[in-house]
Amino acid sequence: MTATMNHPAAAAGKSRKPIIEHLNIVTAFALGAISAFVVWRLALQFLPEDSEVRLFTREDKITLLSMIAWFVGFMTGIGALVAPFRWVMGKDLSHEENMFLAGKDMGIKRYFRYTTDHKVVGIQYLVITMVIFGIGGILAMLIRANLGTPEGGWIHPQAYNSIVGTHGIIMIVGTIIMVTGPIGNFIMPIMIGARDMAFPRLNALSFWLIVAAAVPLIWAQFIGGISTGWSAYNPLAGQAPLGMNGYIMFICIFALSTMVAGANITTTVVRMRAKGMTWNRTPILIYGIVASVALALPAFPVFFLSQVMSGMDRALDTSFYNPAGGGSGWLYENLFWIMGHPEVYVILIPAVAALMEMAPVFTRRPLFSFNVAVMGIAGISGLSVLVWAHHMYISGWAPLLNAPFMLTTELISIPTGMLFLVLVGTLWRGRLWMTMPTMSIFALLWNFMIGGVTGIYLSDVPADAFLHGSMYVTAHFHYTLMGAGLTGAIAAIVFWFPKMTGRMFDKRLSWVSFWMVQIGFNVTFAGMFIVGLQGQPRRVEAYPALFNQGNLVTSLGAAVIMSGMLVLLYGVISSWRNGVKAPMNPWHAKTLEWTVPNPIPLENFDVLPTVTSDPYGYGKEKK
Amino acid sequence: MTDLMPPTKNKWWKSRDVRKTFILWVILTAGIGIFGSQFHLLAMPEPASEVMSGVIGLMSLFSWAAAPVAALVFAICITALTTTRHYGDTPPPEADHQISNSPRANATWISVSALLCLFALVVGLVVFQKEGDAVLEENAIHVNVVGQQWAWNYDYPNGARSETLYLPVGVPAIFHVTSKDVKHSFWVVEMGIKMDANPGYSTETAVTPNKIGVFNVRCAELCGLLHAYMQNKVHVVSKADFEKWLDDRSTLEARP
Repeated sequence: MTATMNHPAAAAGKSRKPIIEHLNIVTAFALGAISAFVVWRLALQFLPEDSEVRLFTREDKITLLSMIAWFVGFMTGIGALVAPFRWVMGKDLSHEENMFLAGKDMGIKRYFRYTTDHKVVGIQYLVITMVIFGIGGILAMLIRANLGTPEGGWIHPQAYNSIVGTHGIIMIVGTIIMVTGPIGNFIMPIMIGARDMAFPRLNALSFWLIVAAAVPLIWAQFIGGISTGWSAYNPLAGQAPLGMNGYIMFICIFALSTMVAGANITTTVVRMRAKGMTWNRTPILIYGIVASVALALPAFPVFFLSQVMSGMDRALDTSFYNPAGGGSGWLYENLFWIMGHPEVYVILIPAVAALMEMAPVFTRRPLFSFNVAVMGIAGISGLSVLVWAHHMYISGWAPLLNAPFMLTTELISIPTGMLFLVLVGTLWRGRLWMTMPTMSIFALLWNFMIGGVTGIYLSDVPADAFLHGSMYVTAHFHYTLMGAGLTGAIAAIVFWFPKMTGRMFDKRLSWVSFWMVQIGFNVTFAGMFIVGLQGQPRRVEAYPALFNQGNLVTSLGAAVIMSGMLVLLYGVISSWRNGVKAPMNPWHAKTLEWTVPNPIPLENFDVLPTVTSDPYGYGKEKK
Repeated sequence: MTDLMPPTKNKWWKSRDVRKTFILWVILTAGIGIFGSQFHLLAMPEPASEVMSGVIGLMSLFSWAAAPVAALVFAICITALTTTRHYGDTPPPEADHQISNSPRANATWISVSALLCLFALVVGLVVFQKEGDAVLEENAIHVNVVGQQWAWNYDYPNGARSETLYLPVGVPAIFHVTSKDVKHSFWVVEMGIKMDANPGYSTETAVTPNKIGVFNVRCAELCGLLHAYMQNKVHVVSKADFEKWLDDRSTLEARP
């Protein structure tokens, strides 16, 4: 909490139990459901019939209106509007009320309320990330089960397309929040020596927006599903069933969450670092998190807008993307990828930065070339907003722009190479302390190298004319987002587990799941590279016999990944419940989050720390 | 990483781990280069056009260009993993140096990656340029490709229309690709060309088939329910056979 809560005007006590104490996840779901139902009923009653121009327009309007009503009802029910409303009325929250919002002395219940404490939000994010990966993983297994045999699987094509789309979008969301959510909210403020985020209420808002967003996506599954793949290209999305509205609402609400979190985290890091924590002494993870959320700030408004237009095309018969009415599908592609390419670095950068943060701890030597690491992150962030049209080389939109976009795309390999230099430089002549996060650094270098090099093939226009839209692309981005990104995120969870839960992560389970996931992963996507090169398109539910073997390998590998993930899940749950109690600083690390006791007090520090040296002062001085 | 050793001692390249890394690097470079190029060569279909041969050549070339970089990273990883490993709940003693930077290593690394990047760009542009020229061929045959859910239609200049693509060998073919409904992607797999079919717009791509045979056309953009089945064959035949087919086809169409 910051100075706002000590606002002297709000210090007066309250006689009645304030409304915020009545609001929690139950009231949120109830109010959301009631609002959705009421609006659905009203819309059904009063919306005029269509003029037969389009089949779904009226139903689209009704669905979208009900979903908006759900959203407003849910956010009201969780208590997001209480504080702004009170402020407008001139009755700002009192100190006690703010402490209540922060979850003071509340136990487990605070996780189900609009709680502003950054540690609570971090845990909420951790749990929802795991839920998302669980569901996304099950969907992935359904896809692989269906592709285990050629010539049509056992899932209906419509359902299959919807599974592919849902798997795609929720894994994208899961990977976006997997580091900046749990680590960025829980660890980051302590790491920079702050008592909370700059805007604690926005922090709670950013989390609950994700919960609010999840419901339209689930809803969508029952009204036709998302049959367009996660990219939801128009005009396909225009003719897709009503479930598309769920996708549109999901993206709009999630984009809001990302923007709110981005503004909040960026402000926190810029304004609230401890005394003496100059930019040169700020840990590299902080740079990674800020780069990630700051990159989302320009990207996600575009995504939001693209979906608003998509929804208008469906429900209001506008024609942003409809060529018959003067629109263009290329417009959608542009908007989508202006978000879509920065977004992959939103996912990747914090995961790599987390491993950079761990590298000095587990090699017992300073981070190699801190400045190069910062410049690498900055370079990737800067270039990533200039590369979007490499997803459109063969779309025919602007063939003349292919060469410049090839240039910007290949330039990204330079800052990416810098990140490799920092990691291998740190490993060189370090004293390796073998833990699962240590090994994850090697796994990242391996996977990210494969993902990066295949990215260079894909960035090349002539090669892309063959590879685009094939399984090769799918394998490539799984290598970067999962092989590099998720590997980093899992290592981060294991590394900061002692601080987040007060218990050590079971060492044996972490190793078992590590090897299962990594081996399974490389088998899976090696098979996918092969079928991609042989010419199997993406997002197909049946394929010629030629691709049998590769697909079989991929499906088997996927089963190994899933088993490894289940071991990991078991590890998280069992270690959280009855793991070994963690000491204050189990890794003997030198960043600030390891200087606070377990469990961490509500406002982290009694006395705000002063930083006098850089966080990587390992190693013996030369005599 | 020159600064790691004090100047009074041996030269830096004489230390054991540097030598070990160097040897590993040489072996791995060869291994990765061979594996990378062979992997692509073996998995990719037999080329049926020069464009496709060019793509396969590019992939091999890029594999070799990436090999030394990947090999260096992996060599350093292996050296690190095989030198000092410490297991246990307490950390090992801290490393015997505090080196946190090496301007020389930074500069070398960044300039080499910039050069490799430039190399990839130039090579790509050269191949790209060659393909671009193909659209300008004068004696080319023009085919209008129309995608629709979930089939391809091909219209020839003499009015012939076919659901299967026939092409004469050795004659440049220019495709004008469009779509009736949603976005599709026209992919002639063995010829290494692909062009999206956009509703409302027509886009061009070109290729010269150089082999007689039957090859694959697949849709490479999710286009709805039966996307997976939106594929058929392309028949590349001799010039004479093609003329004959075209005549048969057009009379067939002309018949009321």
